[in-house]
Amino acid sequence: MMPSLPIWQFDVLLLVLVVLFAVVALSIRNLMGAAVVFGAYSFMMCLIWAGMGAVDVAFTEAAVGAGVSTVFIVSTIYNTSATMRSRPGGMAFKLFIGVVVTLAGVFLLSALPDFPDWGDPNSPANATVAPYYIENSIRDTHVPNLVTSVLADYRGFDTLLETIVVFIACIAIYSILRIETAKSKTDEPEEDIATAPPSYDPSDSLIVRQASRFMVPFMQLFALYVIAHGHYSPGGGFQGGVILGASLILLAISFDLKFLLRQWREKPLMLLVASGVCLYATVGLACMFTGGNYLDYGSLDSVLPNDRAMARSHGILLVEIGVGITVMFSMLAIHINLASNGRFDRGL
Amino acid sequence: MLLVLVRAFKGPTVIDRLVAINVIGTKSIVLLLFAGILFGQLEMFVDIALGYGLLNYIVSIAASRYYQHRRCLEPTHTANGGQPSRWKS
Repeated sequence: MMPSLPIWQFDVLLLVLVVLFAVVALSIRNLMGAAVVFGAYSFMMCLIWAGMGAVDVAFTEAAVGAGVSTVFIVSTIYNTSATMRSRPGGMAFKLFIGVVVTLAGVFLLSALPDFPDWGDPNSPANATVAPYYIENSIRDTHVPNLVTSVLADYRGFDTLLETIVVFIACIAIYSILRIETAKSKTDEPEEDIATAPPSYDPSDSLIVRQASRFMVPFMQLFALYVIAHGHYSPGGGFQGGVILGASLILLAISFDLKFLLRQWREKPLMLLVASGVCLYATVGLACMFTGGNYLDYGSLDSVLPNDRAMARSHGILLVEIGVGITVMFSMLAIHINLASNGRFDRGL
Repeated sequence: MLLVLVRAFKGPTVIDRLVAINVIGTKSIVLLLFAGILFGQLEMFVDIALGYGLLNYIVSIAASRYYQHRRCLEPTHTANGGQPSRWKS
């Protein structure tokens, strides 16, 4: 690598931009504008991660922070209101909040000197486990992307629980928002006309529909590539799952929600959300049945036709597929819930 | 990029903000690829840029769909007691 990279100046520029975006996003009174600026803010964060060399994190930030979460915020605003109302409480309340936040900041800053220096080779993170991962990952798992091998193999439990967190988030939103209405079972067209009488339906945009129809297969192909190629390049189950879910969300937005719900019924959708977690957990159980510890994919070599390291690589792939399934359908279910306000009939 | 940010901040209508943010996204993709060239690992950053480009498209579609549904985009909209030809922002 070249010795004189302008990384430092680049980072300072990005940091200034991030702070600017944060201030702008907080000071815009219109929530819609704030949501959009917030998307740009999280893309600046993505650039910072990329500048630090953490490409996997940058990818996740670009997919989740800048992409899907902005869509979620937009559909939430669609069902609530885009104008801010000032809270009751007045000056004393604001002062109290200010004092609390300042105190919390002071406490956090007071813990700062206890951290090791940035990039210190003797810090615990760099001295104990990181050298082991760097030296042994290729030999143990045949996975060149260390992030993937650490995430799905060495730290398999953590990732299992992360996937369960996504699952729980989906279930929570589902159980809060979902409304069982008797009418929602019958999709009668006259009911639609009664609730929303548009003289001219602006959602019938031929350009948007055809463009989306053209883009969706490529998005899904790219997402599958991201999942499957996560061993060798940035990416993996989370990012690929988000892009897969986003492609279906794109269908829901550019056509309408009914078009999507005709293909994805509610019950199979929620079953698929759960099945990803189940796949992950089943891989772990299979490792136990073949004589290893839970999520110790190396013991799968008695089933798979390869050696121990390749078995670990394949185990990582299986686990990533499980993560991808859960994330994809969680994104879809969350979007449907938010956009249709829990009625599962029509929405954004 | 700062000029675009000013537009995103002041922007009298939301449309200004939307377009400004789209421009920022496009410029950021280019920045991301420049970072890739700097690091000498362009193939990794191309993936991220592709993913971001796809999702940016979805965000634009979602936001414009929001305005379509909310009927904010019609200049002759006079909902607030005859406030003429002023886009609600």
